[in-house]
Amino acid sequence: MELLTFYPLAGFSILLALGVVINKSPIGSALCLIGMMLGLAGIFAMQQAHFIAILQVVIYAGAIMVLFMFVIMLLNLKGTGAEWRSRERNTLLTVLTAFLALGVLYKIVDIILEIDLDSPAKVADTFGTAAVIGETLFTDFVLPFEVASILLLAAMVGAVVLAKTKLD
Amino acid sequence: MITELLITLAKILFIIGVTVGFFAPILTWVERKQSAIMQDRIGANRADILGFTALGLFHAIADALKMFTKEDFIPEGANKVLHTLSPIIAVIPAILTFAVVPFGGVYNLFGHEVNLVISDLDVGLLFVFAIASIATYGYVIAGWSSNNNWSLLGSMRTASQMISYEVTMGLTIIGVLMVYGSMRLTDIGAIQEDFFRWGIFLQPLGFLMFLTAAIAENKRIPFDNPEAESEIVAGYFTEYSGLKFGMFFMAEFIEIVTIAAIVTILFFGAWHIPFLTTATLLSWFEILGTTGSNLLVMLIHVGVFFAKVILFIWLQMTIRWTLPRFRYDQIMKLGWKILLPLSLANVLVTGIVILMLQ
Amino acid sequence: MAYYVNRNVKMTWWERSYLPEIFRGLYITSRHFFINLFGFIPFFLGRKKDREIFTVYYPEEMVEYPPAYRGRPVLALNENGHPACVACGLCEIACPAYCIHIVPGCNSGKQNEIERWPEKFDIDYAVCIFCGNCEEACPEEAIFMSDDCEISMLDRKKMRYTKEQLLVPVADLKERIEFTRKMYAKWNY
Ligand code: SF4
Ligand code: SF4
Repeated sequence: MELLTFYPLAGFSILLALGVVINKSPIGSALCLIGMMLGLAGIFAMQQAHFIAILQVVIYAGAIMVLFMFVIMLLNLKGTGAEWRSRERNTLLTVLTAFLALGVLYKIVDIILEIDLDSPAKVADTFGTAAVIGETLFTDFVLPFEVASILLLAAMVGAVVLAKTKLD
Repeated sequence: MITELLITLAKILFIIGVTVGFFAPILTWVERKQSAIMQDRIGANRADILGFTALGLFHAIADALKMFTKEDFIPEGANKVLHTLSPIIAVIPAILTFAVVPFGGVYNLFGHEVNLVISDLDVGLLFVFAIASIATYGYVIAGWSSNNNWSLLGSMRTASQMISYEVTMGLTIIGVLMVYGSMRLTDIGAIQEDFFRWGIFLQPLGFLMFLTAAIAENKRIPFDNPEAESEIVAGYFTEYSGLKFGMFFMAEFIEIVTIAAIVTILFFGAWHIPFLTTATLLSWFEILGTTGSNLLVMLIHVGVFFAKVILFIWLQMTIRWTLPRFRYDQIMKLGWKILLPLSLANVLVTGIVILMLQ
Repeated sequence: MAYYVNRNVKMTWWERSYLPEIFRGLYITSRHFFINLFGFIPFFLGRKKDREIFTVYYPEEMVEYPPAYRGRPVLALNENGHPACVACGLCEIACPAYCIHIVPGCNSGKQNEIERWPEKFDIDYAVCIFCGNCEEACPEEAIFMSDDCEISMLDRKKMRYTKEQLLVPVADLKERIEFTRKMYAKWNY
């Protein structure tokens, strides 16, 4: 039963992720990204992490991607111009991105190899509920949590200041 | 297992039947008739079958027939796939919200615990919120894919308006959540068995702000800038006709029901009658046996719930036919400069009061 | 006659908070709603004769149009059975929509007969904007706005009315003639 939902979801997400990269029009890419995020949310929900799944939908699919779409529409990028097809190649950036991707891949493979797939770990029934996540966030991970919120606050203030100076 | 499945199926059919089959068509009639009565008119009463007009009820059927038979038009240069897809994307979230909306409590029928909610999610409240944020896409894509400047303007207005009011909605939801200590809508409903713990008493400001934000999310007057017909023709659905237009229309009406249901659950005691607990009701009908009394109480509760829903539908309609449309900058100002600080303050005050009471 | 709108109305804090005014508006509309809702019931039961609703069931019921109403322009047919028009062409010039087309006819100077008359007089109602300029321009009281506004048709070509279709006996236009005399006050009667 679980596999029956997992494989379609995973396939769907991977296909759409490919769509993001391959798609010729920016709005198509954005739509694929949204679809992929919904697929990811589905996978999260399957792993009993309802809270994370919902957050994935609210924050990524709901809020951030709407802004993406908004910007794409505001600039009216139709994806027909030549500059959209072939952007300038930046060797340094390409190499750096490749390194990053490789590093992430290495880590993922490393983790997967370590896992004993035959005997999946048992999780508590409360696993993934809002209450449990809240508790972990505010006890074990309170420092990273606060640091992240300060970072976001700084970013917000910075954005407001930038916008303000332009206006005045 | 099979019975569980059957019960769930029955609940799904009930909800879809009630919203799509009953409320959506009836609301088109209600909108016409109520506006007419409010403005000292008579309203639609011409469509008849063999001379019977049934107070204009047949206009809903006439509407449906018209939409089915109209030309389905895709403008030149439009993105065909997205243009076809967007009404579907718009209408699905509207129905989907009902997955977590409880329309009754838990009843003991024929030895089964029947919980009158399709999916008793532990993050139900957030689910509602998530679905509301997904709903934006239908409208945004509709405007973008129509290859029409009015539509594009409409969908940009939609996007900006919905983002702005989502923030307020989220923050008011936080206030509710702090008061009830749960995100499960069935829990929130059950807590309000006590009349003095109804959301309207605990979060009066929250109620007003939630209703405002919800109406803004639904893009109805006074927040109907995305489709302001006197400014941008019809906004995002300028280029839609026939059944696709009908789907946008339906999404709007279903969303009215959704808003009414959510408001009922969060602020107006869900399915409870004031001062009458479920236990009291059950003891009244004790002679009917467990199943009988439970069944009766269930019917009463569902009835009460939908009566409240109808009341809030009426309220939304009255608001829609009373207020004039806001200007675009007024909408933004209301959203960011008034409602956002107010909702933040609401969260703060709620937190302080809860701490003091402990 | 420039006229300025004062957009700097000072509102009290109470008014600016908008909410009380919303409730006031809601009160008014819902009062109407409930009065009408329950006021309807006796009407539909046939008890009460007059209702507070003034809707007219249009094709079956009609209202009397006031003489000031501008329907389609028609030509007046005077008591002798001739068009009052002298084909001067003033209305043709005054018409902002250029929808009047006149071909004049005249006799060759015989005594005691009509000197000029329109040979052809067409008004294209598909183009006419019902402005009434023709009526105002006419020096002979020959063209008037009638109270007929039901001129929708499926064929545009048929909307070009000829002289025969336009002529209306002057007796039918009495009220409008009175009205124009008062209104324009340019005849020195
Ligand atoms: S009413 Fe106006 S538009 Fe019509 S014929 Fe007379 S002058 Fe022309
Ligand atoms: S202005 Fe009067 S008299 Fe002259 S052509 Fe027109 S209708 Fe005839």
